[in-house]
Amino acid sequence: MDDMRIVERNVQTHATKITAKGVQVHYGTSHALKDVNVEILENTVTAFIGPSGCGKSTFLRCLNRMNDTIPSCKVTGMIQMDGENIYDPRVDPVQLRAKVGMVFQKPNPFPKSIYDNVAYGPKIHGLTRSKTDLDEVVETSLKKAALWNEVKDRLAAPGTGLSGGQQQRLCIARAIATSPEVLLMDEPCSALDPIATAQVEELISELRSLFSVVIVTHSMQQAARVSQKTAFFHLGNLVEYGETGQVFTTPKDPRTEAYITGRIG
Amino acid sequence: MNTTHILSAFDRDLEAVQALVMRMGGLVETALLDAAEALDARDEDMAARVRTGDKAIDALEDQINVECARLIALRAPAAGDLRTVLTVMKIAAALERAGDYAKNLAKRTVVLGQMPQVMGASGSIRRLAKAVVLMLNDALDAYIRRDVKLAEDVRQRDRDIDQMYNSIFREFLTHMMEDPRNIGPCMHLHFIAKNIERVGDHATSVAEQVIYLVTGSLPGEERPKVDTTSSVAARS
Repeated sequence: MDDMRIVERNVQTHATKITAKGVQVHYGTSHALKDVNVEILENTVTAFIGPSGCGKSTFLRCLNRMNDTIPSCKVTGMIQMDGENIYDPRVDPVQLRAKVGMVFQKPNPFPKSIYDNVAYGPKIHGLTRSKTDLDEVVETSLKKAALWNEVKDRLAAPGTGLSGGQQQRLCIARAIATSPEVLLMDEPCSALDPIATAQVEELISELRSLFSVVIVTHSMQQAARVSQKTAFFHLGNLVEYGETGQVFTTPKDPRTEAYITGRIG
Repeated sequence: MNTTHILSAFDRDLEAVQALVMRMGGLVETALLDAAEALDARDEDMAARVRTGDKAIDALEDQINVECARLIALRAPAAGDLRTVLTVMKIAAALERAGDYAKNLAKRTVVLGQMPQVMGASGSIRRLAKAVVLMLNDALDAYIRRDVKLAEDVRQRDRDIDQMYNSIFREFLTHMMEDPRNIGPCMHLHFIAKNIERVGDHATSVAEQVIYLVTGSLPGEERPKVDTTSSVAARS
């Protein structure tokens, strides 16, 4: 039994975007991640699943150096993007985060207009030369985030006035406005209703053609629906990493099987 | 996987469909043995009971399919749980076919009652039926115990069934050549033997489902086949 979705089986042919080798994370004395080795592929949705506190969000945050903001956090090992070490002292974390965007669990639009929310990133990174340029980036980003038709007549309205699902898509538009190469999503649908969830999931599938998406989710069915690769974390270890169909039909590790079938593992 | 689900209702649902399959298996085994005995004893009442009993087997298959559809919709089973549901459905389908063959045997028993008896034929068929029922029983046992070794043994035993069927085929051929009056009953008896041999194939596929359930993949290599009757011609 390979993947049941035959059309998406050729996922292995994509090039590697991010390589992590021997990644260890300590928060003070607690050992949050133990020797994680993983390769994130280009144009692929990779899902991280596992019980709370297993290290999946910690690892996600390593990929754009969000953990740098936590003083007690120590990251060792190597993470390379396109062959370059992202923890090299010469790498500017702010520039890195423009290339590796992030969407969080709770929609967190800036208390600004819809337009300014999306325009903010390109502005501070100096990605556009003129107002026309910026208008275009805002429009294409909102279109890619499948929000344009709903907000095109009220771009000056505050982003916080949108519905939860719209706010989350606005945050996705904001993240993709800087043309990232990787998009990290930390439980992007857990605050959304099923319809908004489906819209975001459809969006994730479409965004895959533009860049890699890494998604942390507590919903195993969501991981099964949107991802091509799945990684299962448990107690700080990466237990199993494989093609999503294989992980959900014939997992190799008994801990993975116990978790995805809802048993005490 | 012998640990239980966090959601205990999930365990109850999975156990319930497997219990239905086992009940179905029990009914099919009894139907086959009774049908073979009715043939041997020329007991038309018993044959009639086997025929009406097939309705219960068919109803169980329907019930199993409904329960499996519910399980898939409501519980979204994955990995071993998913394979359990898939194999339950396949095994139920195999058992339903086996039940049909028992019913067909019972039907032919009534017809054969009006014909002259063929020496030793019903005894051979009864022995074949016993061997096949034992195979089916072991295949279902292997399912409940998740016993790949026993399942593999059942698969290999299909060779013996094929051999028994071959010799019955030759026996009937001899009878028919000896006396044309044997042709009528021997044609019916031959269909019966062939159908029982098919039940052996269904038992084998149950055994293969056990291997899929436990290992996640169906056994790959070709099963030994010794049914050579397709190349036998009557010599005058």
